[in-house]
Amino acid sequence: MTVLNLVVKELWHRKVNFLLAVLAVVTAVAMFIAFFTAGKASERETARLMLDMGYNLRIIAKDTDINQFLLTGLANETMPEEYLEKLASAKGISYNHLLATLQKRITWRGVDVVLTGLAPEVCPPGRAKPPMIYSIKPGELYVGYGVAQALGLKEGDAVDIEGKAFTVAKCLAESGGVDDVRLQCNLREAQEILGLPGQINEINAVDCLCFVEGGDPVSILRKQIGLILPEAQVYQAKAMATTRAKQRQMVRNLFAVIMPSVVIACGLWIGILAIMNVRDRQQEIGIMRALGYGSSRVAVLFLGKAVVIGLFGAILGFLIGTGLAFRFGPDIFKITAQTIIKPELALFVRSVVFAPVFAAISSFIPAMIAVTYDPAVTLREE
Amino acid sequence: MVVLEGVSKSYPTAQGKVEALHEVTLSMEKGEFVVLCGPSGSGKTTLLMTVAAMLHPTTGSVTVGQRNLYQMSSRARAKFRAERIGFIFQMFHLVPYLNVVENVVLGAQAAGRSGGSVQARQLLERLGLDGRAHHRPSQLSAGEKQRTAIARALFNRPKIILADEPTGNLDGDNATSVLGHLSDFHRNGGTVVLATHGERAEQYADRVVYMSEGEVRS
Ligand SMILES: Nc1ncnc2c1ncn2[C@@H]1O[C@H](COP(=O)(O)OP(=O)(O)O)[C@@H](O)[C@H]1O
Ligand SMILES: [Mg+2]
Repeated sequence: MTVLNLVVKELWHRKVNFLLAVLAVVTAVAMFIAFFTAGKASERETARLMLDMGYNLRIIAKDTDINQFLLTGLANETMPEEYLEKLASAKGISYNHLLATLQKRITWRGVDVVLTGLAPEVCPPGRAKPPMIYSIKPGELYVGYGVAQALGLKEGDAVDIEGKAFTVAKCLAESGGVDDVRLQCNLREAQEILGLPGQINEINAVDCLCFVEGGDPVSILRKQIGLILPEAQVYQAKAMATTRAKQRQMVRNLFAVIMPSVVIACGLWIGILAIMNVRDRQQEIGIMRALGYGSSRVAVLFLGKAVVIGLFGAILGFLIGTGLAFRFGPDIFKITAQTIIKPELALFVRSVVFAPVFAAISSFIPAMIAVTYDPAVTLREE
Repeated sequence: MVVLEGVSKSYPTAQGKVEALHEVTLSMEKGEFVVLCGPSGSGKTTLLMTVAAMLHPTTGSVTVGQRNLYQMSSRARAKFRAERIGFIFQMFHLVPYLNVVENVVLGAQAAGRSGGSVQARQLLERLGLDGRAHHRPSQLSAGEKQRTAIARALFNRPKIILADEPTGNLDGDNATSVLGHLSDFHRNGGTVVLATHGERAEQYADRVVYMSEGEVRS
């Protein structure tokens, strides 16, 4: 008879104890899995929505005339382009996809345009993402739809702006917004044309609102960025995103209270079951020890049982928890795209590791206490 | 071969200490069949347990085959029990979720011997349990349980069998059969120490040791 053999026979003999113990693990694991699976899905959905909406953060120089900025969408003051690096390399930030631009209204060939210099999009170290926007090579010009229409420009045309030669690399499709009146080029060249070397006037970024800890997301972000760049101010495109973030924050706070209570309750439950099981098995421990089984071999029986309970509980709990996430996740987390919920395999691995360890610890202690007595003493206990 | 020197054992209880053994000095020879006779509460079980390496005496030493049992580590004592001792309990003490054969081989596994279910079946046949091999303890009569326990004790080929009122819960025929098997073991060179409060076992004994109130009166 192997240890597993003995463990399985005992489990079968005391089915109710086994089922109750598994139930305890299932409850804890299922709660955990359901919450995190739905939470992850919600995060993914928010991130996707945010990307769909484009850059939602605008960081501009401190002395920018806000009235002007809000009216025209253009910041009249500039700031050093090193700010981009500073922002990108700060620790513990929640934004990504940083894009530095220098924009200014000019009249070109009799048409009012916004000359826009674009730096390549930057991601914080270790959080590289595919860029959301093209990067423009030196000498290339991306012409907005309206400008191209007004001046009859087409791809391949050679043009010059203030004495600088460009090739029209792309005529952009109609956007219905300010992009239609832009002439976009490399940041370096825009700086030269505008006589503003090393300057930018806006940094755009995408804030996923993932790390929001509580409170108003914008003021948190302002505080965060204020520490990094005291010389800047921050505007966030308020959107449903904020509501979503608040919603998620609320659930997360709730979870912060519920989850520890569930884990503690289930831990106690398993512990009590383990103590009861050990009491039930005093005789058996005594017999095994009397027959000459060492303490460690007896302990292995109890650990083996705990591991079996933990594994069963983790697998079942994962299935049930994932099912719950699918069923109730959309309501609780306001997830609209049901398809974005998917089983979180990383969580599965974690529960399959932690549940048995947890169960083992809670049954190991009473078993270890039992084996420290002389077998005769253990056998006496009725 | 078995030597107890000044062995005392007291149990702490809420009402104060209960002294179960008082300064017991006793030796038994290899191959001897000793019957410990005494009324209930005289300390027989306590004495057997100390000899079986299952209970620390409060004072005194127990030496079995040159080995001072309670100066060994707990692990060494467990190994000693597995290899040397066969114990038969009044209350049988079978593992409830194992069947008869499994109970019988359980002890051998503790000694590191695996398998042996063929020999176990032969032994069960000898004890008249061949039809019961796959029954659980709860499906057995008291006599069958005790014979299973004897099979378990014998199966390990111990040097000593310690039997604590092995016939206490059995009727006449079953009791005779159990004593017969112990006597066989003894005839083949084994040492037997049997505790009883009745007379029946005395006819098998090489020597009867009388106990009362935790003391030996030979
Ligand atoms: N675990 C214990 N706790 C307290 N008293 C005990 C315990 N075990 C035995 N005793 C007491 O020790 C004495 C001897 O018991 P025991 O060795 O079982 O005698 P016997 O087997 O001869 O009936 C009895 O008075 C009994 O009540
Ligand atoms: Mg007794």
